[in-house]
Amino acid sequence: MNARIPILKLNEVLIVSIQWELDDQTAIQFQEDLLNKMHKTAALGVVIDLTPIDFIDSFIAKVLGDVINMTGLMGAKVVITGIQPAVAITLIELGIRLSNVMTALDLENGLDKLYKELEA
Amino acid sequence: MDLRSSVEIITEWDIVAARQLGRNEAKKAGFGTVDQARITTAISELARNIYLYAGKGKIEIERVTDNGKFGIKIIASDEGPGIPDLRKVMEDGFSTSGGLGAGMPGVKRLMDEFKVVSETGAGTTITTTKWLH
Amino acid sequence: MNKIMVEGINKNMDEIIERWIRRMKEEKGERFFHFMPDHLVEKTSREFAELMTSNITDSSAANTERINDFTEKVVRFGWAIKFVNKAIDNFSDVVFEFLEEQEIINEGNLRSFNTIFRNWINPLRESIIDAYSTEWERTVSLQKIALQELSASLIPVFDKISVMPLVGTIDTERAKLIMENLLEGVVSQRAEVVLLDITGVPVVDTMVAHHIIQAAEAVRLVGAKCMLVGIRPEIAQTIVALGINLHEFTTKSTLQRGMQAALGMTNRAIVEVEAN
Repeated sequence: MNARIPILKLNEVLIVSIQWELDDQTAIQFQEDLLNKMHKTAALGVVIDLTPIDFIDSFIAKVLGDVINMTGLMGAKVVITGIQPAVAITLIELGIRLSNVMTALDLENGLDKLYKELEA
Repeated sequence: MDLRSSVEIITEWDIVAARQLGRNEAKKAGFGTVDQARITTAISELARNIYLYAGKGKIEIERVTDNGKFGIKIIASDEGPGIPDLRKVMEDGFSTSGGLGAGMPGVKRLMDEFKVVSETGAGTTITTTKWLH
Repeated sequence: MNKIMVEGINKNMDEIIERWIRRMKEEKGERFFHFMPDHLVEKTSREFAELMTSNITDSSAANTERINDFTEKVVRFGWAIKFVNKAIDNFSDVVFEFLEEQEIINEGNLRSFNTIFRNWINPLRESIIDAYSTEWERTVSLQKIALQELSASLIPVFDKISVMPLVGTIDTERAKLIMENLLEGVVSQRAEVVLLDITGVPVVDTMVAHHIIQAAEAVRLVGAKCMLVGIRPEIAQTIVALGINLHEFTTKSTLQRGMQAALGMTNRAIVEVEAN
């Protein structure tokens, strides 16, 4: 049941689409996989799409926040895309702001934003 | 119809089971997507607290009515060490597990009613309710 | 004993009604009778008196059906609850005094008549209060729904730019609704910038500001930018006086300025074209 989240490489950017509800193990595994892949590919940016995710609790939010910080340390930019309205509201009510990350409505917008940021 | 269902929390996977049950119950009770997310998230937080601090316990989900209002009540109970300083746990930013510390006050904000009964050495019971508006 | 009482009342109904009307006119609620033509006062009063008398029963257990009938009809008179209460009070006083004068009530049976009066009046009063409070609750909840319907729709103005005008007082419940509409709208309209126009919000206190900040943060999470526009001078003053920190998001005094800024953020501008 412990399936890994696929991480795709497109030029200098990594693309991750999280398709199903994250359990703790998968989330931690993902964190490790992403950092390894970043290291191996020397990617400059990551887009993480959360469109199918219908809830995020404080644990998963922490893992995501850590991933964002770690990626930043490795010199790459992260854009999170497709956070659903219900998820955004519960995150805010939980007191989680993810204030250090770029966001975009969907994968397409997210890639645009990331490329612009990398050009600058 | 069974108005009450429960999940034993023993392994990490039971957290997933508990929130799936919660999501289904919330959907069946007629909650909208935002409230479904609130209820699911609250259950996840409560179940994780049981798993992390008590090791073992259970999450019960119950349909409730009061004065023509309908809602869902979640009862999270364990026989763990209890919470020594309740006030501190309810402060934003307090956490003993290295999480975000959003847990308890966060759950309170997500739900409409929230009550903790805790006895050191005997366990903790958290009862929280969300009403259909 | 009740039979004697009812007979006594019915035989002298005109006299009782007259006394009752006189007393009601002395009350502050007199205004009510004042606006009513005399023949209507007479008719309504008689109806009321009959309804009152029909509820004197032998048993201590009140006849629910009759009481409901009484309540339903009295509510239909459209009287204020205070007035109805007074009317019931005065009616029972008048009847009591009258029966005393007629020597139907005397020292010997005073106690049992007290019980009869109590069993007669209390259920009526309770039923009236119940009916009125139900009516109020219904009105309040209807108004609440009406207010919710009024609140907060997100309007797509340009491609990637939407506006939500906020009107009226914002409480917690409304704030939640506003947040949901705002976020659902942002996603479905694919808005990259949303302008929250608070021109129509009378007061921005710490609580309202907190809700607005939360909404702006949630908008950022779904991937858009939130701008606060329509900040009147007095609102700016209260925001600063309360020490509310709005530094983290863009604010503009008017919707026009906000719109210009929003177009700039999405790399566009409005230009004038020469007329032919």
